[in-house]
Amino acid sequence: MKLDPRTKMVMVVCLSGLALLYNTPGQLLLVFAVTVALLMIFHFELSVIGDYLKPFLSLMLFLLVIQCVFSPGGEVLLAAGPVPLITTGGLSMGVCVVLRIMTVAAAAMLFTTFSSRDFILGLVQWKVPYELAFMVSIALRFLPVFRDELSNVVTAVQLRGVELKKVPWREKMALYRRLFFPVVYGTMLKAQQLAVSMEARGFRVYPRRTYLRRLNLLGADIAVMLVCLVSTIMLIALHFT
Amino acid sequence: MAFLELTRVSFSYPKRGRRVLTEIDLALDRDEITAIVGPNGGGKTTLTKLMIGVLQPSGGQIRLDGRPLAGYSLGEIGRRVGYVFQNPDVQLFCGTVAEEIGFGLTNRGYKPEMVEERIQFYLDYFELGVYRNVFPLHLSRGEKQRLAIAAVLANEPLFLILDEPTAGLDAYRKKLLADYLQKIARLGRGMILVSHDEPFVGRMAERVVALKDGRIQSDSGRKGNAAYEA
Repeated sequence: MKLDPRTKMVMVVCLSGLALLYNTPGQLLLVFAVTVALLMIFHFELSVIGDYLKPFLSLMLFLLVIQCVFSPGGEVLLAAGPVPLITTGGLSMGVCVVLRIMTVAAAAMLFTTFSSRDFILGLVQWKVPYELAFMVSIALRFLPVFRDELSNVVTAVQLRGVELKKVPWREKMALYRRLFFPVVYGTMLKAQQLAVSMEARGFRVYPRRTYLRRLNLLGADIAVMLVCLVSTIMLIALHFT
Repeated sequence: MAFLELTRVSFSYPKRGRRVLTEIDLALDRDEITAIVGPNGGGKTTLTKLMIGVLQPSGGQIRLDGRPLAGYSLGEIGRRVGYVFQNPDVQLFCGTVAEEIGFGLTNRGYKPEMVEERIQFYLDYFELGVYRNVFPLHLSRGEKQRLAIAAVLANEPLFLILDEPTAGLDAYRKKLLADYLQKIARLGRGMILVSHDEPFVGRMAERVVALKDGRIQSDSGRKGNAAYEA
């Protein structure tokens, strides 16, 4: 389906908004299912969606365990003596967190169906200041850069002869903690260099920008946007009644 | 038996049709300095990344020290083969220059006194002493290059792969690097130099392999330089 980038942005906002609002596994599972169905309409195969979500797996497992243990409530399912370890309330909270992350991450896949140039163009045509639109686009571009940076560091660490798989868990966490700040700072340095390079090439020299291409909202775009917005508002209203 | 042996190795990047490397046969020993030369985009860096297991061949086999490379973890490869990336930024990840040099040894359980001794030696040799506590990414290109090389050499790997090691180095630093590499080569550490720096290759390499369009165009063999002259 060929839709305007702005229509897809509205879809992402609606799906992510509902995912953040809902707090029962059933509701969140439904939003996730709708997200996956939408992605499949946009020709994403299930295996591709699975591959995209795979890097979030460890974070999701970590949060699931944390929520299970530290969110008490409901029946006790597992206990260590008098101390409840897993409760139905904790498990439900954990599943909710996992489904929420999966929905937001999967919905963001829609951003990959159009170029960053179209993203900026769409926002600018909605009267968002160019600088702001460009900043958001750069931030989105930096996410994979940051991921690659982390992956490079993990490779470089191992190529110095460190067997990461054999390092005890506690030492591994300490190692990652020590590496985290240099990596973040390195990314910030790169962002700074990018800003200098942009200004050197005349970014913001003229107050008015012109565009060769314009995006046009078609009937289908408006219809899809209306369906998304109306159904989201209704679901939010139902949630609070 | 060669230390690093490539048999009919081919490689294409996923989702890109073009083959980057086609049926490469190469045997490298621990007692020789081999240069890999050739035009940009010829597959030199890709070939070295295959040799350290960062990339997996789409065909053929690579053996390290007699065993298939696929059977080693990256950490095990890193203990045997030291790799200096073309862009030093991707391999500098510590908070200070000194930490960067001592990282491998510290995390492999060496005694702090020994690590410190090794750090001091490489800081002095590569003239990085004044930057001891500086954040590595704040250094200039040439300084980062020296640091990346020092950090790899400090681990004392059996074999070295240096991708464009002289990039950003002035003539004096190139000489220092060449002297050091020749010294460790005499101690039985083989190495591969990927370089466009003809005088450096001419001075260092005992064997020159020329790559073009992903194929070996010529291989001077050991102790010769016919290919490079060609």
